[in-house]
Amino acid sequence: MITTHQLPEEAFTALARGDGDPAVVRHLSDVQRSKHLMLLHDIAAGAEGAGPGSPEIAAFRAGWELLVKVQEADPDAFAWVSGLPHIGAWAHDCLERKDRGLLPDLGYLAAAAVAAAVRAGVQFELDVPVKDGRVLLPGLGYFHGLGAGSRVRLRGDAERLTVGALTEAPRTALVPDGGSGDPVQHWQGTHAARAVADGRTWTVLLETGDRYLDRFALPMSAALTAKEVTSWQECIQSAWEVLVRHHGWAAGSIAAGVSVIIPLTAHGDTDLDSATTPAAFGAIATSLPPDPVIMAEILVHEFQHLKLCGLEDIAPLTEPSDERVYAPWRPDPRPVGGLLQGVYAHLGMARFWAAQRHLETDPDDILRAQVMFERWRSMIEPVTATLLRTGRLTQPGARFVALLRDQGQRLESEVVPADVSAVARKVALDHRLTWQLRHTAIDATAVTDLATAYQAGEPRSGRLLPEGRIEEDTRTVDPTTRSRLLNMRFLEPRRYSELSDAGLPGLSAADRLLLSGQASRAVRAYRDQISAAPEPLAEAWTGLALAIHLLGQTPFLPAFDTGLPLMFDVHACLAARGIRSDPLELASWLG
Amino acid sequence: MTLPDQALKAAIPDLRNVPLDRLAELGDSVLAESIALYRQRLLDSGVPVYRFNSGI
Repeated sequence: MITTHQLPEEAFTALARGDGDPAVVRHLSDVQRSKHLMLLHDIAAGAEGAGPGSPEIAAFRAGWELLVKVQEADPDAFAWVSGLPHIGAWAHDCLERKDRGLLPDLGYLAAAAVAAAVRAGVQFELDVPVKDGRVLLPGLGYFHGLGAGSRVRLRGDAERLTVGALTEAPRTALVPDGGSGDPVQHWQGTHAARAVADGRTWTVLLETGDRYLDRFALPMSAALTAKEVTSWQECIQSAWEVLVRHHGWAAGSIAAGVSVIIPLTAHGDTDLDSATTPAAFGAIATSLPPDPVIMAEILVHEFQHLKLCGLEDIAPLTEPSDERVYAPWRPDPRPVGGLLQGVYAHLGMARFWAAQRHLETDPDDILRAQVMFERWRSMIEPVTATLLRTGRLTQPGARFVALLRDQGQRLESEVVPADVSAVARKVALDHRLTWQLRHTAIDATAVTDLATAYQAGEPRSGRLLPEGRIEEDTRTVDPTTRSRLLNMRFLEPRRYSELSDAGLPGLSAADRLLLSGQASRAVRAYRDQISAAPEPLAEAWTGLALAIHLLGQTPFLPAFDTGLPLMFDVHACLAARGIRSDPLELASWLG
Repeated sequence: MTLPDQALKAAIPDLRNVPLDRLAELGDSVLAESIALYRQRLLDSGVPVYRFNSGI
């Protein structure tokens, strides 16, 4: 009788609050092992019907039989290999290829089985595929220098492994490269980082060789130099110290759940990107962060995603839907599932910065930590409210979001300095208003009717205002220098000061007034700019809306809070007729 | 219906201790249903796993 995995209620509650101790994480990892075996069965069923002729299928079958032997001889080695994120990524690739009518890379299983057999010391002999002169043993490393052949015979036993006529090596030497082992000819162990802080250890692979883990927006760093490996090891060590000493709620579970870091190659010095995928539980991809605190934050952030991916394999939290909504951290409209992933990650980040802001000593680092905390904690409430409003949460999903919201509300009681709050509020407003203008579509007929009535001097009262609908990139609103500077103010305060001293080049006079806190004068300047321009100026309209918000309670605030896209379209319609309208008079008319 | 005080039951069967060579025997029952469900969820999520999602 086969049973299904079950997640205890207390584990579900802990995960919803952003926690989840190592035992909970191990539970999620166990489910992933079963998932991988389930997918492996599906791949095997496909291979079964493919006939015996292909060397790829022969390699798959030999790999399968070897895994059966490993499972009998050493269940731990079998559990290790079946839980690797490499296997998840490869298995999902097989599914995709099958769905597209392509032949999956079946031979990969033979190499994975060899990796398990090497760990277990199980005797074997089989042919494995060679790619680019290499044989990769997932989770361990690769043999290189195998030339142009397409496969090679591997023989192994409790003592040694022989690779065709190329080389042979002691089995126990075929391990990841932590920098301390004797070199083995033609063998490169996967680089590993072993971080230790206050007696707590985290060992993680730096994967640069497995093509199934090279699927992110930035490319995997295919070959790290010795200097680069050292940089990664030092960064991971320092980040681990930050986590262990100051973020204990996250450190243990990250060590239990993250087994692989995939170094990504950035396109430029400031190009920081990190990612995870539900296909590879346990792996985090990232470019090298500028400092250990950011690395620690990335680990917290991305591990939140992994936990949620793991939980959603147990119980879906959202229902299928085409609905798109606003996410305060993204430029584009997001699906409900994406919004849930994002807010869960940001709960982790808010908790991280809540502690970190009390630890920093450099004034710039304090400012960054304070604003990051304020920015991310203050959006948990509106985003969870949006999620609950969509009606697209499953029953466990609604419970999960309610608990998450409760955790966010606990952070609301913490005090931040008023100037920090002001910086964070400006960034958040600029983001929301820009997004509104970019992605809110208004019915064109209604806009034309309103423009005609305004032009005729008729009262607006009695006319219903059209509802907006979310439509990706309905207007062109380019990223502005103003937005970049608002973020630069807390992310790179020194650079911001230099630019301020230089008079903030590249900004309009209105933008300069806004950034210097002169909201009233900024309103006048934006108003003049919009009124004088023959074409609608999206950036000036968002600037005006931002300045109106900063003024506080004005009669124009309601119109500029939710009606910016409508005002912009009516103004644009009038401009197309050759009529230059005053934005504040129009706002007053539209109410 | 899942009550708040009950453990969540996963759609994924617990295969950790099932001998690999016995998986095929389960194929037409529990496994086939679970795989179909999982694949449907992948489609519903809209995440193309051959090109991993980046960013949130």
